Amino acid sequence: MSNEKYYVPHGTYWPIIGSVGISTLFVGFANHMHHVGWGWPVMLLGFSIIAFMLFGWIGTVVNESISGTYNKQVDRSFRWGMSWFIFSEVMFFAAFFGALLYARTISVPWLGGADNNVFTPELWEGFKAAWPLINTPGTIGQNGTTFSTGFELVDAWGLPAINTALLLTSGVTITYAHHALRSGHRDALVAWMIATIALGVLFLGFQITEYGHAYHDGLKLTSGIYGSTFYLLTGFHGFHVTVGAIMLTVILYRIQKGHFNADNHFAFEGVAWYWHFVDVVWVGLFIFVYWI
Amino acid sequence: MSFFVIAIIVIIFLSLGSAAIGMIRGGQEGSDKMFNSLRFRTALSVFLFVALMFASYMGWIAPNNILPTQ
Repeated sequence: MSNEKYYVPHGTYWPIIGSVGISTLFVGFANHMHHVGWGWPVMLLGFSIIAFMLFGWIGTVVNESISGTYNKQVDRSFRWGMSWFIFSEVMFFAAFFGALLYARTISVPWLGGADNNVFTPELWEGFKAAWPLINTPGTIGQNGTTFSTGFELVDAWGLPAINTALLLTSGVTITYAHHALRSGHRDALVAWMIATIALGVLFLGFQITEYGHAYHDGLKLTSGIYGSTFYLLTGFHGFHVTVGAIMLTVILYRIQKGHFNADNHFAFEGVAWYWHFVDVVWVGLFIFVYWI
Repeated sequence: MSFFVIAIIVIIFLSLGSAAIGMIRGGQEGSDKMFNSLRFRTALSVFLFVALMFASYMGWIAPNNILPTQ
């Protein structure tokens, strides 16, 4: 923070490594889709190159930050960069929640003849609008029937409620970690961070268990609009919890290294906000998928 | 009951937005705003979960986990 001139980054090889990694990943993926034998290992190679690039590039930025290279303008650019990332994440989940809302309140009732769509019942005779709709009209689905039948989903007070309690508790523990960092209590900060990561990993374990139960009971990605939206929403959320847990682990490592103090800890703030966001998205999922 | 639940979710999202604004603003004031907003949203989320459990126990709200049989 020594000068106010804008920091101009030095030349770096990380972007070209990232490009090579992404290209390798897609070449491998395309060939894997065409059942070419070497497609899968090339995909893994591409993924490894991208992971190497991320660790290397982020490591370079961290080293530049702790060596005092950055000034307040760079700090502001990091904060605005985080805000655009937040915006993209909100829009991402808004699209999937929007799809769930549209399917439940508009398209499925229309197929059942609601509003002025008087012709739709004739398309699929005998169709009655019901939610959750687990068979796409016009296809043969669960139990060999054309439409949805009596089907008991995962009990909202079973694993989903346990997972909600776990994630909400992790929201409490990261708040205590945040408080410990702001008040300079390093040992408490480390303990609360470990608790938060552990709760996140436990959540993922239960989520995998729930998927196992749901799949065993016949709920698949192809189980109508309900199966599609259920797995897309909860699956992408699980992916975000995984990424969040990795980021929290990196922050824990940086805490151990002494990278943060009570006044200067933007990386912690960014990851903490992300974790709270993931927590809130789950609360929304719990309410709109299982309750309302 | 649904209106009550959705209203609380909206307030939780607004708190999260307020925390994001504090984070973008930075400095001591921004940091305080972020922390307080996140603390509020955490408390509200826990309250919502407990309220949902209580409402379910009282029979005011029921989960949509059973499909109507056709």
